[in-house]
Amino acid sequence: MLIPLIVFGPFILGPVAYMIGKKNEYVRDLFVIFVTGAELLLSLGLVFTMPSFSINGILCGGLSFTTDGFRSVYGVITALMWAGTTLFAREYFEEERENLNRYWFFVIVTLGATEGVMLSGDLMTAFVFFEILSFTSFTWVIHEETEGAVRAGYTYLFIAVIGGLVLFMGLALLKFATGTLSFADLKVAAFTSPHPTMVFVAGICILFGFGCKAGMFPIHVWLPKAHPVAPSPASALLSGILTKVGIYGILTISMTALYGNETFGLLVLLLGVVTMALGAVLALFSINLKRTLACSSMSQIGFILTGVGMMLLLTAEGSEEGAGVAMSGLMLHMVNHSLIKLTLFMAAGVVVMNLHVLTLDEIRGWGRNKLFLKISFALGALGISGVPMFNGYISKTLLHEGIVEGIHHLKKYSGMLSVIEWVFLISGGLTFAYMLKLFICVFVQKNKDEKRQQAFDSDRKCMNVASTFAVFGSSILMVVLGQPFVSTHLARYMTGFEEILHFHAFSPENLKGSMISLTIGAAVYLVIVRRVLMRDGHYANLWPEKLDLEELIFRPVLTKYIPDALGAITIIFGENRVLKPVLSAFFTRGFGAVATMFGENKLLRPLCKAGLAVACFASKVFESVLDGLILLLRKTVMREKKVQGREDPSPELISTLYTELGAVARPLTSGFTFAMMMTCLGIVIVLCTIIFVIF
Amino acid sequence: MMSPYLLLIPILFPVLGAFLLFFLGIPEEKDRQRNRYLETIVVLTSISVWILIFMAEREPVQIYSFISGFSIAFRMDGLAALFAGMVSLMWPLVMLYAFEYMEHSKGKNRFFVFYVMTYGVTLGLAFAANITTLYTFIEMLSLVTIPLVSHYGNHESMFAGRKYAAFTIGGTGLAFFSVVMTTVYGDSGRFVLGGSLNMSQLTPIMEVAFLAGFFGFGVKAAVFPLHSWLPTASVAPTPVTALLHAVAVVNSGVFAITRLVFFTYGAGSLMGTVSQTIALLTVVFTMVFAAAMALKQRHFKRRLAYSTVSNLSYMLFGILLMTPHGMTAGLLHMVFHGIIKMSLFLCAGAFIHVTGNEYIYQVNGVGKKMPLTFILYTLAGLSLTGVPLFCGFVSKWNLVTAGIEAGSPQSLSGVFALIISAFLCAMYALSVSVRAFFSTEESDLYLNRPDVKEAGKSMLIPIAFFGILNIVLGVCSQPIVDYLGKIAAGML
Repeated sequence: MLIPLIVFGPFILGPVAYMIGKKNEYVRDLFVIFVTGAELLLSLGLVFTMPSFSINGILCGGLSFTTDGFRSVYGVITALMWAGTTLFAREYFEEERENLNRYWFFVIVTLGATEGVMLSGDLMTAFVFFEILSFTSFTWVIHEETEGAVRAGYTYLFIAVIGGLVLFMGLALLKFATGTLSFADLKVAAFTSPHPTMVFVAGICILFGFGCKAGMFPIHVWLPKAHPVAPSPASALLSGILTKVGIYGILTISMTALYGNETFGLLVLLLGVVTMALGAVLALFSINLKRTLACSSMSQIGFILTGVGMMLLLTAEGSEEGAGVAMSGLMLHMVNHSLIKLTLFMAAGVVVMNLHVLTLDEIRGWGRNKLFLKISFALGALGISGVPMFNGYISKTLLHEGIVEGIHHLKKYSGMLSVIEWVFLISGGLTFAYMLKLFICVFVQKNKDEKRQQAFDSDRKCMNVASTFAVFGSSILMVVLGQPFVSTHLARYMTGFEEILHFHAFSPENLKGSMISLTIGAAVYLVIVRRVLMRDGHYANLWPEKLDLEELIFRPVLTKYIPDALGAITIIFGENRVLKPVLSAFFTRGFGAVATMFGENKLLRPLCKAGLAVACFASKVFESVLDGLILLLRKTVMREKKVQGREDPSPELISTLYTELGAVARPLTSGFTFAMMMTCLGIVIVLCTIIFVIF
Repeated sequence: MMSPYLLLIPILFPVLGAFLLFFLGIPEEKDRQRNRYLETIVVLTSISVWILIFMAEREPVQIYSFISGFSIAFRMDGLAALFAGMVSLMWPLVMLYAFEYMEHSKGKNRFFVFYVMTYGVTLGLAFAANITTLYTFIEMLSLVTIPLVSHYGNHESMFAGRKYAAFTIGGTGLAFFSVVMTTVYGDSGRFVLGGSLNMSQLTPIMEVAFLAGFFGFGVKAAVFPLHSWLPTASVAPTPVTALLHAVAVVNSGVFAITRLVFFTYGAGSLMGTVSQTIALLTVVFTMVFAAAMALKQRHFKRRLAYSTVSNLSYMLFGILLMTPHGMTAGLLHMVFHGIIKMSLFLCAGAFIHVTGNEYIYQVNGVGKKMPLTFILYTLAGLSLTGVPLFCGFVSKWNLVTAGIEAGSPQSLSGVFALIISAFLCAMYALSVSVRAFFSTEESDLYLNRPDVKEAGKSMLIPIAFFGILNIVLGVCSQPIVDYLGKIAAGML
């Protein structure tokens, strides 16, 4: 009963929240906090009971849910994220409480959908809930209904639609190639499939589809746009959980149908590395608090995908241990990143709800005297930068360890992997650099505008107790998960990989990797951020506007080139250009030609005339003969005394007949009706021919 | 079991009943009287259809024979039950909608007489037992709907009516060739699953005949070169565009082609022929072409009309795969698309009726004034795109898997086209919803329009009904899929 409650409960309670909100907003706010809290408690039950559940006979093959270590942990984290953001949102939305029914409805429903994906036992179930959350989370992005939000919303929507459809295609291919979509059977079915190429193509489609949500390069474009415009609690969810849904999907396919597929592994690895580096660079250049965090999310997704790629490659090579390390690293990093982004986006939310701006220059110095916020943000920053004793350190070290294992075991890729190792370390360094940039800007430096700084300093209060609890409480987790004992046990629980317990987090080699990263980061901060990216003491936006994949390629392709191409088709075949002339030539001219050929002026009229003339002539002759005869008779046999000259009616009759006939024929012979008649005539001729030929 | 002669009741009852309206002399402005009379006729007909679906014997009954072989005969079988059942469910509801929609229109008597007569003709088409009967009723359907298309009587409507007549009557003439050939070379054109031709392999002339039949009946199903009547006809009143040009008339084309492919020529003998390839590629092209055209339209109903063109090709794609699964998928899309498009058109009609606006750029912000209508519109749009939970997903899933199973390059290209057109579909259907709900304050056209509110009950009930059906069938589609599978396997 646990799983249906967790998954379907929110679908029922979402509308309830909406109804309540129509009557009373305060009750609604408490109600949603209650719902998410209850969800959190229920999801904790998952860890202890490990249930599974299925419904047959609905939605193309039924829904099935299952739990294992990873799924149950993510079930809990999903609920935790929701509970935290909901708690925080109560204060965040203080000013616009009236218009939030729609928002809360979709937030609650998305919770159910996300749990549905996380606990899914087959790809179809995952797909169903994935599509639901794609569309429900769309309303978060567009919530503010400003111009930027609408634009970002369109980007998000269309990428979600494309992703959904490609995923759909992948599922159909996989279903055909393997005959099953259940995670339990997929591994065996894929290896015995008679269509291995199709399985691979299906895998690519599924990677693309889930990659859209994960923010994988090159379909990451929605991510840096959508996160900043969404309300902060929603950004935290978008970044912390919805990207993980994408990763979850990629993981499921990597662990089942394409388990240990080398080509696929290489593809994921390279895409991951590009995402990782690109996200870090974008974040470094960004001068907007939430945009930096969004780009940072993208970069961290890259880290995780690199782990997925390494896991696949190491499995292909047969190195169980290396694969286990990579897997532990990536799963831990998923957990860590979710929690870190929860803290950081809520901290950013505190800034937004107080100042309503996000550009670094304007918020500079605001947090100097806000102690709790400062600590929370610092913990998050330390966590994400991979500083020892904080949670990001262990997961990043494990990921690094995975790459190092790869260099040892995968001889043919060792050169490439060495480069990747450096990209990895530098990206880690950039993470440190941009987090330093944010922290120093908001919490250390003074604002350039002194009056503004005074106003900042005079206002110590920035959030209420509930929000402090949410923000600070979530940041404590950074330290808890930073302890190797906690992390390794969590990793073992999620992956089932026992040897991870013997992992020495603080061995000199592991510390060395981290130190290299941090040194690079500090150097980048001091040299690039302070010297290059700051102009006259202001944070300058030096990222060239034109270098935007969406504006450069996607939007033109989608809104210009494809419509142009399709437009060309529609113009060529559209009714007004070629087709219509052709059709009109065929239908009207063709029939017209027939009509004219046989019509009144060419054939019919002369024929009629001739016929009438002949008839006239004949009747004249006949008449004359008759007249002669009558005359003869009158003169001879039937002679009367007085013969009056009789008027001859015949010529008039015939002329009347002629005009009458013409009047009847004209409407017939002109235009459409005649064409129709000719068609019918044609049909009759065909019919007669066939009948006479056949019988 | 009931005598199959009773099949004549649902065919003749609405035709005669509606015809009687002329003699009853109900004045134009007596709405309630007329509405009651007509709704009674329609509901009784629907009830009789459902009784017959369950009770009638599956035996053909010959009514009249022209010459040997060419005869008018009716029979209730699985496919007929499906089509008649679908239509009979929709007609009473759309009648309700039409009563409100047409309340300020002129010439209501004429309109409703033809509207109800169309019902009888459609049922006759569904029950047709051989190809001659089918052909007769398809031509009758064209004739009886012409006054409905040009109902408004203005220049545009008259043009649309003329174009409609020229395309449907003239085009269906093409199919006559097929009718004659199959009647002569088959068992009097009788419909038997697996084909009734008495030749083991198709001769080239028979393939040509098939193509003539395909394009001839394809005019009704708006296959590419002969599709343009459908968007033009969207000037007709919404009840006509919704019920006739999204369901009854256009699906009769698909229905006829199904009969042609599976019941006269036989899928076995057509499979792999050149004619199949030609037909399939035409349909695949139409899918993408019409979806792109739909994106170009700025007139709400024209956009939906092009979307219908595209979706009719989905159905034909399923059917032209000529596999049982393909047939199941095609018919499934026929039913589900009917529900979805009904929903979309009725919502669009409600918008047009309430605001008097007809263009896409005029919907900005209307979602806040007419939330129910546009929520249901959005759900239908999502369904059309193929989002799970809605019925469009089920049919699309079946179409795609059937296409992949068929495995030929043509069918795979069709699957690809289907995905592209689904994307285009999301663009043209959902951008309307986004405009309606999420417009910025400057672009909101209805901010200060207190007169714009939800339409009346008799419009909302059908809209809500189809909206609910959309979700219910999307979640619990298995019974329908099984039923269609049985039809495709010849078990019904």
